[in-house]
Amino acid sequence: MNAKDWKILLVDDEREFITTLAERLELRGIPARVAFDGESALEAIAAEEPHVVVLDVLMPGIKGLEVLERVKRTNPQVQVLLLTGHGSTRDGIEGMRLGAYDYMMKPLNIDTLIEKMESAIDYALKAAALPGKSDGQ
Amino acid sequence: MRDALLMGRLTASATHEMQNILATIRESSGLMEDLLALGGENFAHAERFKKGLTVLAEQVERGMMLTEQLNFCAHAPEPCSAGADVNEAVRALVGLSRRSAARCKTNLVLAPGRSGLRTSLRAVQVMDAVGAALEAALSALPLGSQLLLSVEEQGGLALVRLDSPGFEALRETTAWPELAALAKALGIGLSPGPGGLGVVLALPRSIA
Repeated sequence: MNAKDWKILLVDDEREFITTLAERLELRGIPARVAFDGESALEAIAAEEPHVVVLDVLMPGIKGLEVLERVKRTNPQVQVLLLTGHGSTRDGIEGMRLGAYDYMMKPLNIDTLIEKMESAIDYALKAAALPGKSDGQ
Repeated sequence: MRDALLMGRLTASATHEMQNILATIRESSGLMEDLLALGGENFAHAERFKKGLTVLAEQVERGMMLTEQLNFCAHAPEPCSAGADVNEAVRALVGLSRRSAARCKTNLVLAPGRSGLRTSLRAVQVMDAVGAALEAALSALPLGSQLLLSVEEQGGLALVRLDSPGFEALRETTAWPELAALAKALGIGLSPGPGGLGVVLALPRSIA
């Protein structure tokens, strides 16, 4: 799948960080929507299902892991990449157990992020192509 | 211990904020690099601009290392059933002590150590004891020295070794009585290093 056809949702309460990241992805031909909290993220996913959600674990309101659990229930084929800090790698590991595709620590490297998004999308496409497979993870 | 746990919680919260700040700086400077690559190369100050962006990237890396060490400190007072990882505790202490050592014109070097070596002490207690030994060593070493620390295992015990100055010189420092009292209280053995150089701290065995 061409990167310009990817549907990416970035979710973080740090507005400057997430809008700048979206802008950098756009410069690379990767369209990305943004949401600044868990509630808005779930609304955005319901409105248009993304291929990948890049999701901060520590946000006010609905926490990242709860968003992850809900997404895997309602949209199991959506792949989730978690963003953690040094103090929350345990959340990253817990997130993998709950169905996240991978986790990355902030500050992140954009090239590594793009590689992981591509890998997650490849994984989802292959999983969808398997006969009798209903869940992406 | 309650006060140390409080400071730990506050520090953990602050280091999380710092990571967000560094992430934002990295993305913003990354965007500036992207825009420069897209067509700003001809502007008069392009080279100076690029140099500035390199400095930003280096400082973000420096900040990342510091927040990682501070985050370790934030959790260091917490009890851990498996015991503290000695190498991680010493690594955080050395990282955060470099500035004090630099004021004494001493270069701190931590030898690569085996992870997974544990002690029954909390990480903050390991850092307190090794920190006291470090303070004694720094006060006794001449300017321009190098001080090597290493974490080793012997007979199932985790040992932290400082390789200089001489053991007797350490015992004469004003910092030594506090180190000796702390070691006694925590059950840490103090002995000279090989050839009477430096000091070895033998930490209590992990219960787990």
